[in-house]
Amino acid sequence: MSRHRIVALFRRVVLEIRRDRPSLALLFIAPIVITGLVTFILRESQAPQVTAIVVNLAGPPGQPVGIALAAALRTDGATVSDMADEAAARASIGDKAASVGIVIRTGTASASSLDITVITNGLDPSGDVSQVSAVQRSVLAAATAASGTPIPVVKHATVYGTPTDDPVTTFAPAIVAFFAYFFVYILTGVSFLRERTGGTLERLMATPVTRGEVVLGYTLGFGLFATIQVAVLMLWALGSLHVGALGPLPAFSIGLGIAANGSPILAFLVVVLLAVGAVSLGIFLSTFARTELQVIQFIPIVLAPQFLLSGVLFPVSSLPSILQPLVAMMPLNYAVDGLRQVFIRGADLGVPALQLDLAVLGVVAAFFATIAALTIRRDVV
Amino acid sequence: MALHAEVDPGRTGSPPAIRAEGLVKTFGTLRAVDDLSFDLAPGRIYGLLGPNGSGKTTLIRLLTGLTIPTAGWAEVLGTRMPSRSNLRRIGYMTQTDGVYAALTVVENLRFFGAVYGVEGDEPVEHALGIVDLADRRSSIVGTLSGGQRRRLSLACALVHRPPVLFLDEPTVGVDPLLRVQFWAHFRALSDAGTTIVVSSHVMDEADRCDELLFVRSGTIIARGTGQEIRVQAGTADLEQAFLRLGGNVEVTR
Repeated sequence: MSRHRIVALFRRVVLEIRRDRPSLALLFIAPIVITGLVTFILRESQAPQVTAIVVNLAGPPGQPVGIALAAALRTDGATVSDMADEAAARASIGDKAASVGIVIRTGTASASSLDITVITNGLDPSGDVSQVSAVQRSVLAAATAASGTPIPVVKHATVYGTPTDDPVTTFAPAIVAFFAYFFVYILTGVSFLRERTGGTLERLMATPVTRGEVVLGYTLGFGLFATIQVAVLMLWALGSLHVGALGPLPAFSIGLGIAANGSPILAFLVVVLLAVGAVSLGIFLSTFARTELQVIQFIPIVLAPQFLLSGVLFPVSSLPSILQPLVAMMPLNYAVDGLRQVFIRGADLGVPALQLDLAVLGVVAAFFATIAALTIRRDVV
Repeated sequence: MALHAEVDPGRTGSPPAIRAEGLVKTFGTLRAVDDLSFDLAPGRIYGLLGPNGSGKTTLIRLLTGLTIPTAGWAEVLGTRMPSRSNLRRIGYMTQTDGVYAALTVVENLRFFGAVYGVEGDEPVEHALGIVDLADRRSSIVGTLSGGQRRRLSLACALVHRPPVLFLDEPTVGVDPLLRVQFWAHFRALSDAGTTIVVSSHVMDEADRCDELLFVRSGTIIARGTGQEIRVQAGTADLEQAFLRLGGNVEVTR
């Protein structure tokens, strides 16, 4: 290994990326825009408007229940009307004139009991769920009012961090890890493919450069940009710079202001190890691509499973048990977990779970660096 | 058919710059290089002539150690190839330009200089001067014309002043004027002691070489100066000579 040659390779890679404006935009602007948008959506989602129709088919025993439900719903901000006919109520919900129907019937269990059927439109399942839960809340409120004794309030506490209803807290570490992985893979893959197809790798192999030096030079070059990207992204995610009103300009704040407990340096370490693995993965997979489009085509095979199986969208614990061995093999899974350990739990290097994450990421990076170096053979055109 | 080219004795008296002995390279059933043995003397320009697919590039890759021979061996400056340290003494201009489009002319030269272990600006300036690109030194390579890129490609192979130079079809896509300039560079380098192996499928370049090796289906079908080959084939036209000396025979296996 020659330090001189590694530095030359590193400087060349850095120069190439610096000249490539679209890639720089991809690295820095795209993640900020996307995380900003996702945070805005998650935080500012509007409570669904409830327009309920109560249909009492149970006669006099149903009447007080209907009245109590309607009162509870109105307290929650809903608009409530009565109808005598279920079919008319269904038509109204079908037209989206109303969002939910509450049909009270004589119970099937006994003549003195009551059944309540909640009818929703059905075209928007997740919207329907919020309608049903609004009705459930009002049933609970009505029952509390009827019984006169207050129902215990359920409170939530956590071992690590503080329970928060900010959905971005768990999402942010995942998205930081994913972006680092995604962009480093794409940029390295395309850049190394150019090296292979443009004849520069052939020429490089006719110099005293070793393949280990090539992988190291690339890793340092792209690692530098991955590090800057993560730094910017973490400042953006954790920062909360309040800018006061100035003249006609209203007050605003820069940064997503996500609460974090652990050391940003440890978070850095996690992402850098992940990115090193992604550089080598890009070099390795560029062997199997002939065109830049094909590098992009590997995304569904390489990145999509990681996205689905690493707790970015779905919690790992909720995934089917048959998929758990695959989950255990996903490098991104360890980075997402590591970042959550650092951000939420405030883990330091003494925490075994974080040690495991770092160890796995280190082994994966070393493994891919080795197979990447093996694909750079002098014997390959 | 395997013609063992004559060793070229006494022309310079010094040990050969390049030697091959029983060199074979097969890809599956294809024998791309088929039992070649030859010595090439230092300080001369050798033309490797033959149609596309005749094995010229594979032969150059064997001599530079970029591919491992199936059988036999090759030596450059007395060192058995492949040898990484020996690559410092070898320049290789690939068929494709093999330069970085996002970098400037000077940045490309500095990079290749650095990986060859060449320090400072002097070698870069020297190479720039040879190919006459000093006025485009700060241009991004992507903005250069095809001919300018070809010149830069040559400069990148020269930046470490190698005593042995392999040029794989250096004049493909190069206009006639630049081609003349290229050959003037090659001659100047050769006069300064550089051994040059140039592959080409253009016969009109052949007479600029000191010696020709006609390659067909991985074998050398004739070797000698342009004049010797004309006499041997009994024709004044090298293209005719190539055909008469077996170039028209499809070798069946």
